[in-house]
Amino acid sequence: MSLSSAISIAQQAFSNTAQQTAIVSKNIANAGNADYSRRLALLGSTPNGAQVVSIYRAQNEALLKQNIASIGEASGQARLRDGLELLKSALGGNDYETAPSKLLSDFRNSLQTLAATPGNKTIAATAVSDAQDLADSLNKTSTTVQDLREDADKEIAIEVGKLNSLLADFERANNAVKSATALGGDASDALDERDKILKQVSEIIGISTTTRGNNDMVIFTTDGTVLFENIPRQVTFAPTTTYDATVTGNKIFVDGVPIAAGTGADTTAKGKLASLVQLRDDIAPKFQSQLDEIARGLVELFKEGNPSGVPPIPYQPGLFTWGSAGIPAAGVVVPGLAAKITVNAMAKANPLLLRDGGFNGVVSNPGGAANPSPGYTALIDGFINKMGENMSFDPSTGLDGTSSLLNFATGSVGWLEQTRKTASTADDNKQAMLSRTQEALSKQTGVSIDEELSLLLDLEQSYKASAKLVSTVDAMMAALMEAVR
Amino acid sequence: MKTSYVSNLAIQSAMRLTIQQNQTELLKLTQEQTTGRHYDVGLALGATASRSLNLQRELDRLNSMKSTNSVVTQRLSGSQGALETMAKAAEKVRDTLVTYKGNDAATQLKIQKTEIMGALQTFTAAANTSFNGEFLFSGINTDAKPIADYATTPPSAAKTAFDNALSTFMAAQVPPLTGMEQFSVTQMQDFIKNTVEPMFTGTGWDANWSDASSQNMTSRISASEVIESSTNANTKGFRMFALASVISAELMDKNVTPEVRSAIGVAALDYVEQGIAGLNAERSSLGISEARVKKANTSIDAQLKLVNTHVADIEGVDPIETSTRINTLKVQLETSYTLTSRLQQMSLLNFL
Repeated sequence: MSLSSAISIAQQAFSNTAQQTAIVSKNIANAGNADYSRRLALLGSTPNGAQVVSIYRAQNEALLKQNIASIGEASGQARLRDGLELLKSALGGNDYETAPSKLLSDFRNSLQTLAATPGNKTIAATAVSDAQDLADSLNKTSTTVQDLREDADKEIAIEVGKLNSLLADFERANNAVKSATALGGDASDALDERDKILKQVSEIIGISTTTRGNNDMVIFTTDGTVLFENIPRQVTFAPTTTYDATVTGNKIFVDGVPIAAGTGADTTAKGKLASLVQLRDDIAPKFQSQLDEIARGLVELFKEGNPSGVPPIPYQPGLFTWGSAGIPAAGVVVPGLAAKITVNAMAKANPLLLRDGGFNGVVSNPGGAANPSPGYTALIDGFINKMGENMSFDPSTGLDGTSSLLNFATGSVGWLEQTRKTASTADDNKQAMLSRTQEALSKQTGVSIDEELSLLLDLEQSYKASAKLVSTVDAMMAALMEAVR
Repeated sequence: MKTSYVSNLAIQSAMRLTIQQNQTELLKLTQEQTTGRHYDVGLALGATASRSLNLQRELDRLNSMKSTNSVVTQRLSGSQGALETMAKAAEKVRDTLVTYKGNDAATQLKIQKTEIMGALQTFTAAANTSFNGEFLFSGINTDAKPIADYATTPPSAAKTAFDNALSTFMAAQVPPLTGMEQFSVTQMQDFIKNTVEPMFTGTGWDANWSDASSQNMTSRISASEVIESSTNANTKGFRMFALASVISAELMDKNVTPEVRSAIGVAALDYVEQGIAGLNAERSSLGISEARVKKANTSIDAQLKLVNTHVADIEGVDPIETSTRINTLKVQLETSYTLTSRLQQMSLLNFL
């Protein structure tokens, strides 16, 4: 050992301190970055003193995996909840002002008023305009449902595009990690980048990962399909531009395998894509079928005809028409009927047809069509009664197959609200889970400025000590030189 | 690696989340406190929302029924008033017939005729009472005036029909009658019973007197009850009264023998009594309807109260609980504000 080696060790210490300070400063700079993992320069002993041998990157595989899983669940559930909120808002606020059920009840009340003063044409016109409001509400709600499907379809297309570009980015990051690891370099930045992309991918689709030699990562979807192995697998989707109740949307394929839709209000969907498919292909169509059944119920209740008469007059639509002749079969949903239902133009021209009948040549009023009795109420009262009587509905709507039209309409609201409630509770839970895992992960991998500052103090001391060492050795050398001279 | 490691980000996001949650909750509670209902009723009720909607619908229906019932009540009491006037007119005819019984003096007979025609006019006017644009006694033909006026110029259909019937009857006798004084009691009784009466009880009534429908108006007064809410001018009371008035007014002042006149008086009195009984029967049947409407209204009021309570039970929030929770939240929020600012100030940086 010699003085010169002491100098060289002290010099090494300068270099170490510089590197460590750089790391500390990088840590502090990234204190607010959620995707950054704290680094630490690890020293190792060498014959020449200490040396920065590696950069330690704080990480916790288990917590990261949990975080990624909960990101997927929370993002899927949140998207489902948003969709349900949109459907609810089509029904109005807390009083369901624009819901078909509410307008149906209003319509019945105006029929009731008409029954009390059947000779009043203005009141009859009011009843017809209430019928119009009801038909409009069914049309509008149906449009909202189909718009929701269309928007979901568009969003799927956008998300699929985003997913493909994220996977391409992932390939770059993964390659950088692999080469840095193989060459023994510092892979921290590449790892940060890769984890960040992983989190973004899991928002779109549920994933699980495994790591192989050289830190190479393989991504599977939660369905088990390979999403990334060495190279990204192609995610494909053909958008559908216009939707009505009879249109079915296309599937999303990962490497040729379709993505399964989420099921249930507390959805099994992980990631946005699965819950968008669920909204588009399960929830919205079911709500649509309920609307269709309400519309079919109206056409059926107000039908007019006299099949047992001579000559028989088959039943045809009365006050409510649906763009086709005849009455749809009982208890079978007719897709898209809610979008087609309208008030008969004859009723708008002569609202008293509601009281007398005659849409289809069957005049119930004893006075006949030419000279109807203005006080006749039996037909209106019959309508009022029938709205409260049981009829059969398609059980595929998920509601009671036998109930009154009025109860079926409110039952549909109940179904939507129950779904929304479950989705909302599940969303709260999954969000809480997400913030919990995020917090746990952040506690492990995030930067504590206090900690870094105290480290900085240590570094400062060590730097001072090394400087002192250098100056002391220098003094000693000078003394030696003086003695020699 | 330290197990108790905490990063700045973790601390910050934890504090931010707490404040965020408290603020959202506070917003909801404040609204609940002011409206007395859940912030988001559907979210709070879930499937029960359909029950709540059913109850709301029931409320709407009951309220609408209450207002339509008031129309029915008004119609019924209007009808009762008119029927009372008619019954009084009928009694007047009866009294006149009794008072002038056996009177053959021309002046007296003239007075009697005037009295009876007056009563008939009162009766017709009352029968043609309209309410809210509807004739009360037209049955379901509410736009048609139920009883045509009798004494009009030119002569009404009813008057012409009567005169024709009289001359036809006289001509058909063997030998044919050429003057009223030739009527025998039997012939007169035959004329009244078999010629005039069918004109009032048969199709002649619809042709000459009444445009009313025999079908009464019906009204739904509760979820399960439908009542007849009007009567019509084709009921027996109306026909008999008109019959009595016409024969007494048209025949008694004619130049008939006292025996025949007395027979006419007897027949008219009999008819007018039937008319009074008929009118009273209508009054009592309307009275029954009135009582049922009243009962239905009472039960609607009771139901309204009950349903209102149910709705409040389902949708309402406990204001005391809400205000307590608001206070607690306020304290919590203030605490987290204080903590946040304190913790933000605490940094090693301040001591270097």
